[in-house]
Amino acid sequence: MLDKLAGIFTLSENEKKKFRKIEEALLERYPIGEDPWGLNVNKARKSLKKIYPIYKHYFKVRVFGKENVEDKPYMVTSNHTGQIAIDGMLLSTAFVMDVFPPRILRPMVERFFTALPFIAPWAAEGGSVLGDRTNALNLLKKGQSVMVFPEGVKGIAKSTPDYYKMKPFTRGFYRMCAATGTEILPIAIVGAEEFFPYVYHPRMIQKALGLPALPLSLNYFPLPSPVDIYIGKPIKIPEGLDQDSPDKDIDEQVFQIEKVIKDLVDEGLKNRRPFFANQTGPKK
Amino acid sequence: MISLKDVKKILIIGAGGGLAKLTASLIAQKYPDICIHGVDPRDTDFLVKKDNIKYQRMKYTRGNFERLFREKSFDMVLHLGRLSHAQSDQASLSKRLDLNLMGTSKILELCLKQQVKKVLIMSTYHVYGALHDNPVFIPEDYPLKASIKYPELRDVVEMDQIATNWMWKNQNQIETIVLRPCSIIGPQIKNTMSQYLTTPYVPVPVDFNPMFQFIHEFDMAKVIIKCLDRVPTGIFNVAPDEVISLRDAKDHLKVPYMPVPIFILEQAAKIVKMAWSFPDYFINYIKYSCIIDNSELKKHIGEDFCRFGPKETLELLKLD
Repeated sequence: MLDKLAGIFTLSENEKKKFRKIEEALLERYPIGEDPWGLNVNKARKSLKKIYPIYKHYFKVRVFGKENVEDKPYMVTSNHTGQIAIDGMLLSTAFVMDVFPPRILRPMVERFFTALPFIAPWAAEGGSVLGDRTNALNLLKKGQSVMVFPEGVKGIAKSTPDYYKMKPFTRGFYRMCAATGTEILPIAIVGAEEFFPYVYHPRMIQKALGLPALPLSLNYFPLPSPVDIYIGKPIKIPEGLDQDSPDKDIDEQVFQIEKVIKDLVDEGLKNRRPFFANQTGPKK
Repeated sequence: MISLKDVKKILIIGAGGGLAKLTASLIAQKYPDICIHGVDPRDTDFLVKKDNIKYQRMKYTRGNFERLFREKSFDMVLHLGRLSHAQSDQASLSKRLDLNLMGTSKILELCLKQQVKKVLIMSTYHVYGALHDNPVFIPEDYPLKASIKYPELRDVVEMDQIATNWMWKNQNQIETIVLRPCSIIGPQIKNTMSQYLTTPYVPVPVDFNPMFQFIHEFDMAKVIIKCLDRVPTGIFNVAPDEVISLRDAKDHLKVPYMPVPIFILEQAAKIVKMAWSFPDYFINYIKYSCIIDNSELKKHIGEDFCRFGPKETLELLKLD
């Protein structure tokens, strides 16, 4: 039992070899030192060393559609699930460990997050940045890939009956893509909702307390639900659209992206691995 | 646009400061025909005088200051005399209001009246405030939020606003440049940041690690000269491209420090403040980043305007 538990946090010889190769590639791709947003490749590498065994052996992440990713900046756009942003951490790890060439995604985080002691600087060292239009535009212009969850906190904080039901996407991310001509890479993450299988959100109390979310759950430590990440085909910005296009035109495109991700989620739900929290495994 | 080749007389206000001394020396060396007149309310006897640099001790709000303007007919005025907000007691606040606000208004009024051709006013990046939701690369048109949390910084923000409002109002009569530099450090600069970096055993947050832009005093003096030469009316952030985190800066200087959680530091500051003046606004600047965008300035003075990167700048600070 203890051996099994220890196995979660250790890498096999082959995995260690792969990790070393990725480390070298990262150090070649990113300059030593810190960038203006706080990314520190050396510290990110150390964090990744701790996260990768959990990614591999605890959440048993599989990545599909790697062939859709080229060596260029993307607006990596995903559904958001699982009460806390573990899905973002796994997606970031996937783009370093399982996508070629490895790259550090820049996740856009909520405003309250950047005021959290210890967590905010740790996340910034790993690449996260404040979800602000200026930041996203500057990063895209510098050739970096930005990660967004256009459902926001509403998407992540769902009660059990609403699992895998996507909330409407906001349009800010699309306007930033239109401003820079960046392609959108649609992503579906399946398996993260089951980290916390039974959750209830008392909305009235949450609003009265002024909190972004108030999940009441049977467990507050994520269960080892197997996670699948699906990468869709990149979506180009149609000609004639720019950052100042009317909401109606932008909404049409955002709705299309939402649909692509929804289809990827449905495909993922059909093929998911059995786990007690999703009862039967594949959805009938 | 007027440049240094076209001027005969320059007035430097706040001439006793480290940056002003450096700037005056560089101008005097490059343009020996320009006559530089430096004024400062502090003692100026100790300042090195060259043939074309003269110093005079005076307050900017007094009648003799007006006389100086009338008699000398300056072509350019450099206002480098903003009183630092390193001390936060009441006496210092009223002195700052007098010099920074009343003084700046008086200077600008006299510049217009005496037909000065170009004015350069030194503000600071502190006007943007260090807040957790600051974007990285704050542009010049970003709201000035420094005084929202710390009212003691209101004179800094107001001085900037007096200067910028005046600049746009009189843009057809006089060329005006407002500079908002990042932390200027160097052996001659005795500001809060230089002291904080070089003092051993000062508390450093263990739970936050903000990014900083540091410009060396020599680079800053050169930027001022380039601005006088080729930059038109406008507001410009001044900062190098490279950044460094607070803990890395401290480690690089090899100065021992106390790692302390910020909430303890905030409480300790309240107690310390009872005994002696302490700039508690400074805690936010060592908690959150305030990274400014230098792209506007680069359009006029080129890409490589900084000779020293942050690590070299810190190395040079060690030589003090």
